[in-house]
Amino acid sequence: MNDSATRADYQGKGDATVADGAQQSGNEIEIEAVSKVFGLGAAAFHALTEIDLTIRTGEFFTLLGPSGCGKTTLLRVIAGFEHPSSGQLRIMGQDVVGQAPNRRLVNTVFQNYALFPHMTVAQNIGFGLKMLGRPRSEIDATTSEMLHLVKMEAMATRKPAELSGGQQQRVALARALAPRPRVLLLDEPLSALDLKLRKEMQTELKRLQVETGITFVFVTHDQEEALTMSDRLAVMNKGRILQLGSPHDIYHAPKERFVADFIGETNFLSLKVIAVQGRSADLTLPDGRSIPARMAQGVTPAPGETVSAVIRPEQAQLVEAGTGELSATVNSSVFFGTDTHIHLTLEDGQPFTVRRQNTVGQAAPATGARVGLALAPGALQVLRG
Amino acid sequence: MANHRFDVRVLPGFGVVAIFTLVMLYLPIIILVIFSFNESQSQAVWGGFSLKWYEAAFNNRQVVDVSIRSLWLALVAAGIATMLATLAALATTRVGRFPGQTMIYALINQPLMVPEIVTGIALLIFVAFLKVQTGYSGMGYMVAAHTAFCIPFAYLPIRARLETMDLTLETAAADLYATPVQTFTHVTLPLLVPGIVAGFMLGFVVSLDTVVITEFVKSAGQDTLPTYMLGQLRRSVTPEMNAIATLFLALSLVVVSVFFLITRKRG
Ligand SMILES: Nc1ncnc2c1ncn2[C@@H]1O[C@H](COP(=O)(O)OP(=O)(O)OP(=O)(O)O)[C@@H](O)[C@H]1O
Ligand SMILES: [Mg+2]
Repeated sequence: MNDSATRADYQGKGDATVADGAQQSGNEIEIEAVSKVFGLGAAAFHALTEIDLTIRTGEFFTLLGPSGCGKTTLLRVIAGFEHPSSGQLRIMGQDVVGQAPNRRLVNTVFQNYALFPHMTVAQNIGFGLKMLGRPRSEIDATTSEMLHLVKMEAMATRKPAELSGGQQQRVALARALAPRPRVLLLDEPLSALDLKLRKEMQTELKRLQVETGITFVFVTHDQEEALTMSDRLAVMNKGRILQLGSPHDIYHAPKERFVADFIGETNFLSLKVIAVQGRSADLTLPDGRSIPARMAQGVTPAPGETVSAVIRPEQAQLVEAGTGELSATVNSSVFFGTDTHIHLTLEDGQPFTVRRQNTVGQAAPATGARVGLALAPGALQVLRG
Repeated sequence: MANHRFDVRVLPGFGVVAIFTLVMLYLPIIILVIFSFNESQSQAVWGGFSLKWYEAAFNNRQVVDVSIRSLWLALVAAGIATMLATLAALATTRVGRFPGQTMIYALINQPLMVPEIVTGIALLIFVAFLKVQTGYSGMGYMVAAHTAFCIPFAYLPIRARLETMDLTLETAAADLYATPVQTFTHVTLPLLVPGIVAGFMLGFVVSLDTVVITEFVKSAGQDTLPTYMLGQLRRSVTPEMNAIATLFLALSLVVVSVFFLITRKRG
């Protein structure tokens, strides 16, 4: 069976569960002003605050944020293990607030896998369909299809305790995919794996998502994982969504300091605004010259105000002293194999880092040397607040 | 070795105490078993090997009767106690915290805390009252008393098993479309089996063993093996008693070994 045949098959069989509304709107999950409060009175803890989020049908959506920011809580609300304290939640256009988890066409891959230890791999995978009361023949057929999909055919009769971490992860995935859910929720499924296996499984997951066409909601606190795998991602902190967009947008056009800082490395500059036209502003550089910068949505600085602007380390180049937009002094250089990080101090004392692609024979700049910095056009972004 | 300093073997007199304890624990039993094979009537002089006391025991109608009664009573009491204990364990671990939970825990474990003789006398009075009021004096009282007495012994291993079970397994079952009843029958119950078996075995042995409860509750002709033996010993000590005791010991050992194997394999 080749990949395209698998996909066609898969979607064909899933049709019975597709609601018309969702097909039209293209929205799989609609979350409106959802809040979740644990505890009462003085002990109340706001795990989620006014979450607004629309997840589109068939996309690979990622929730990214630091530990404790409410990612798992949001997944549990979608799966039905937790009821929102307020707000609306619709899956395929249907209001599901109050609906029991076993009635939602949503499956979860748990962080600790939660495989049933008393069942074989095949029984684990067939469990969902069995509970749905599907005939034996269909369960068997789907189970072997899933075993094939996650390349675990040889392990069908083993118990979970006899599998490695990566193999258990695949079984958990197959078990969640077997009932052909509309949405698959994945709670940091790769965090227990070592780096190599993790990379392998990232590719694998992406392949499965494309092959099955199922909407994936993926939770991680690894920014690289989020950038490489997602169609869109939401950056969360302290129970709120700070920014939602494509990996490109989030990386190159962060709106807030937290987002810019959490995703990749970045340089923060405090600069004064000279003039504002539409979505761009002219900022004063330390030497008095001006430079254009993009502005995030909703940012409206007044001329004369000092704002925070960001630029990624690979968007600046070292040039001859006296040329380029900025002048700086070299503090140190750190060799990383593919690139070198050069730490600098600007004339006004602000730190700045440049990432330079390495080529054979290229020498690192000497510590204390005076250099110029050329900034890529349009790479400077003004932050909110 | 880090813990060498705390090795109990360096304590003065440790060896003596250990040997004394082992002797007190096992020597009487060994002597009992040896003399059950004695050809002569004596409990002190070896007269050669013989199985005649076992033969006598098997041919003794009364011994067979009380043994059968002991066994079925233990099976029934342990069976009912295990079912009730399973429900109690589920209620005290799977239902959210409710007021009086600790109280209920204490109440369930009453037989472990109240001296057996007190329970026995209380039962004697209570059962006597019921017998007069209802006119019924069958084995029902014995079954009820043994069941109640077995519950905490069945409850403890089942509860321990439930408490250590990964709750996300039940969450995962619900996520995979299992109704609460299906989650229980397909996930919770199978994982609970070792605890249930252990609870049943413990209850079985406890029911088989108890003299006090039986002695105070039984009506005429409702002797179990232990109370029958006690009655016989008041009159005369014959090696036939040794033979019966040895068989009884063997049965207990089998049950305890099975219990041990099951809990170790699945634990
Ligand atoms: N049942 C609960 N009762 C009280 N507080 C809770 C409960 N569940 C979660 N919380 C709190 O809500 C916050 C968010 O928890 P959550 O598990 O969603 O974090 P997370 O983003 O998944 O973090 P991690 O990356 O560490 O898994 C945490 O501060 C946590 O302590
Ligand atoms: Mg989490």
